[in-house]
Amino acid sequence: MNATRTTSSANDAVSTAEIDASCRVPLFTLFVSAAVWLVIASVFGLIASLKFHSPNFLSGCAWLTYGRVHPVATNVLLYGFAVQAGLGVALWIIARTGQAKVAQPWLIGLGSKLWNFGLTIGVLGILAGDSTGYENLEIPRYGVVFLFLGYLLVAFFSLITLHNRRERALGPSQWFLLAALFWFPWIYFTANYLLLSHTPIRGVTQAIVAWWYSGNLNFVWFGLVGLGVLFHFIEQLMARPLHSQPLALLTFWTIILFASWSGIPHSAPVPAWIPAMSTVATVLTLVTALSVMINIRRTCGRGCSQTENPPPGKFIAFGTMAFVVAWLMNALAAIPEVNSVTNLTWYTVSQWQLNIFGFFAMTMFGAIYYIVPRVTGLEWPCAKSPRHHYWLAAIGIVLIVLPLAIGGVVEGFNWHNLKMTNVDVAKNALNFLRISTVGEVLILLGNLMLLGNLIGLSVRYYRIHFVPAYRQATAKLKPVEAKP
Amino acid sequence: MKYGPLVFLAAFFALSASWCGLVLAPQVQLGRAIQETNSVMRTDLYPAGRPGVARQGLDVYRAEGCVYCHSQQVEQQGTLVDVVLTDAGKNSNAVAKALEDEQLGTFTGPGLAAGLPKPVERNTSLEKASALVNLLKKAGANSEMHLVPIGTDIERGWGARRTVADDFLADSPVMPGSQRVGPDLANVGARLPDVNWQLMHLYAPRAVTKDSPMPSYRFLFEQKKIGKEPSPDALQQLPKEFAPGDGFEIVPKPEAKALAAYLVSLRADVPLYEAPLTPPPPTTNAPAATNAPAK
Amino acid sequence: MNPSVNQPMTSASPNDSGAKDTTVPIWLIVVLFLLVYWGAVYFDEHGGWFDSQVYTPYVSAEQVKSFQVNGGPNPFERGRQVYAVTCYVCHGPNAQGTPGTFPPLAGSDWVNEPQPGRMIRIVLQGFSGPGLTINGQPFNTGSVMVPWNSFSDDDIAAVITFVRGNKDWGNHAPPVTPEQVHAIREKVAKHSASFTPTEILQINPAE
Repeated sequence: MNATRTTSSANDAVSTAEIDASCRVPLFTLFVSAAVWLVIASVFGLIASLKFHSPNFLSGCAWLTYGRVHPVATNVLLYGFAVQAGLGVALWIIARTGQAKVAQPWLIGLGSKLWNFGLTIGVLGILAGDSTGYENLEIPRYGVVFLFLGYLLVAFFSLITLHNRRERALGPSQWFLLAALFWFPWIYFTANYLLLSHTPIRGVTQAIVAWWYSGNLNFVWFGLVGLGVLFHFIEQLMARPLHSQPLALLTFWTIILFASWSGIPHSAPVPAWIPAMSTVATVLTLVTALSVMINIRRTCGRGCSQTENPPPGKFIAFGTMAFVVAWLMNALAAIPEVNSVTNLTWYTVSQWQLNIFGFFAMTMFGAIYYIVPRVTGLEWPCAKSPRHHYWLAAIGIVLIVLPLAIGGVVEGFNWHNLKMTNVDVAKNALNFLRISTVGEVLILLGNLMLLGNLIGLSVRYYRIHFVPAYRQATAKLKPVEAKP
Repeated sequence: MKYGPLVFLAAFFALSASWCGLVLAPQVQLGRAIQETNSVMRTDLYPAGRPGVARQGLDVYRAEGCVYCHSQQVEQQGTLVDVVLTDAGKNSNAVAKALEDEQLGTFTGPGLAAGLPKPVERNTSLEKASALVNLLKKAGANSEMHLVPIGTDIERGWGARRTVADDFLADSPVMPGSQRVGPDLANVGARLPDVNWQLMHLYAPRAVTKDSPMPSYRFLFEQKKIGKEPSPDALQQLPKEFAPGDGFEIVPKPEAKALAAYLVSLRADVPLYEAPLTPPPPTTNAPAATNAPAK
Repeated sequence: MNPSVNQPMTSASPNDSGAKDTTVPIWLIVVLFLLVYWGAVYFDEHGGWFDSQVYTPYVSAEQVKSFQVNGGPNPFERGRQVYAVTCYVCHGPNAQGTPGTFPPLAGSDWVNEPQPGRMIRIVLQGFSGPGLTINGQPFNTGSVMVPWNSFSDDDIAAVITFVRGNKDWGNHAPPVTPEQVHAIREKVAKHSASFTPTEILQINPAE
């Protein structure tokens, strides 16, 4: 397998160091902004969670009520952290595996800045009461425009980078990333155009489109990007190719064919065929989870413990497990008998958290801890902190997912128990939610470590590269000796 | 699958499939039917559309994010049928005998003839009910079938039937919700029709529902000094521990009034073709919900 | 952390395309097909076959129809509603019309024709012009009846059934089906203007 590599690098002028150097600007912008948004998301998530300890906590201020803080936490986690981190890691993988320098790194950085600007005004809009009312699409129209343009810039030059690749053959991780790059603009444009234009579609079709978008974002987009990254890093860390390419192909097809139909609950006020289709498709994603599990298990073989030692490997291993569990939970909850219990309860929230944080964010953390030192050529300022971050995040996510999943099932049965009043059911569920607040705190601490590390690394990078250059540029010129 | 264009095409066709299925088809099926509503689809125009202030209330509902804790989707597990005797006919003894032959209890002819309409069989299947209606017809009696939607949501009092697409025709954005931290609101206007109750609940949830975990929305209200006369909008019957001091009153801002009007306008209990039910007979008492103090 | 972090792991990084072509485990394919089979059966039983009127817990259009008991949408009653929001404005609550302006429907020979072809055409395309005779009496009016073809076949059939069969008004003609309305709607599609009495009397009411 190294034959092609050696020949190509012999002919190539582009070295790995040059590729990494071309990634520096866009990756710094994407990762640092992702980490900042991540901390903001955890802070808002914590505020939202604390409100269940005391209903009147911060309820006097309209900007900080649960109905506004909760969508901000979700949107910032999805668009601020997850999409940006995903795009950054995808860009690096595309450049590295394709052996091509990143095209127009400054424009990609500009795209990230547009995205950040759109998200900032969108979040302020939600806090001011301008939310659109569609879940996962709360950002108002004026923010969406910038987000969309920013995405187009980043994705377009990522595609150009892919196009410029020297390694023509595309591996599994690249299929996933490439499909994801195309997927997002389609779903994002469709949903926002149909829901937020001057003449939006009417009636319950709005809700169907919003459900379709959420399913495609949370399962297809994050699934494709997350798995693309997982596959790549498992190959890197294990130093061997993926066990089976046909199996990866099966994963790919089941995601884009089945997961794209998921997300419409059994109780939705729509004609029966729509939830029935969605139910069948979601149950079929069981095959996705199983195929990923087999493929990764067999790739690692007995070497699984090896991946777990250094922190990037730990994160990747956790991400893999979380993916399998989250998708099994989702497929299981689509079965009509189960759905009538878990639908509209905390179980859905638990499953969502496991998918976004346990699977996607953890995978991205692993990737960021792996990529950034290579791109900058510097060690992390605090060498132990990735390990601490891992444990904080892992325990935190378990403390969120487990109580909420159990609490959700209990809540579901309680709603069917007519002896319990509405208040009893709600209060009973909140006991489980309160445990998850501890998880939110741990995750916030871990996220602060990531941000601190990234900032520390940037400062160090600045000191090493810019300060001497600046000194040199501003140093007094020595008088040139005149030649006789 | 070695090249970019192939991945692109695969993604394109897969995405087109779900786009056609979950965006285009519902729009063709539901979105267009909606635009032809100048036809009277049923015995009454439905939905009637919300009054202007309730329409503004929908915006408050959206802005305050009520949807994150309250769903508007009532589930229904099935539909049972009651058979109600409306006319015992000339030979009520024969009718009583026919009913006893069906082992539906003990009946007497004069007993049947008195106090009609009267249910003779409850919670049965449609087939059995139709058979019974035919049997009674043969015995010279007239009867009706009453449809009773069932399900825990309905038994909790959250609705008379399941919610359907038509219930949301007048609204934009449509917010069916994804979680029930609190009760379902699809029919809250039928359940709690008192505007003052709704306002009090928004101002101080625990003033009307003990131990409610809902946050209070005091920023939608103003505390004012009572002028020459108390404001007609001020909250009535606020319990002491939540009431302002003497000489003050709590007046809802326009947002609170709009939100309360919207909540009261939420009632999806009209019988529809796709969600049939027999509405309860109008009672002489106004629809006084037990926990709604009369204004 | 790995001390060799600064060295790119090119030597250890396998080429993606080098993944082995190990086939998919057969049991996974079997699971996939079993799930697809279950999905097909589930959809057949619960999906209502794409009917827009079928909602859970109902499973088919026939079942929803069977639940329309005690005169669900009774065409006559539905026609009463359509009449009340549209025809009522001109023809009046008792279908007596206004002498000299709007013709009566109660007891009119136009309404009580055994075949409904002319009446359906009038409702679909509108009616105007001089030379109108009702029950042998000339009825001169300058008013124009507008076309009502934006209404569905069901609604037009319902309202015509209601008017023709209304015994309170002295009418006793048989009901009209949506299929009849649909057939005539297709025939008059090319007819852009409203009908005149002379024009419509040339049409066989049975067609």
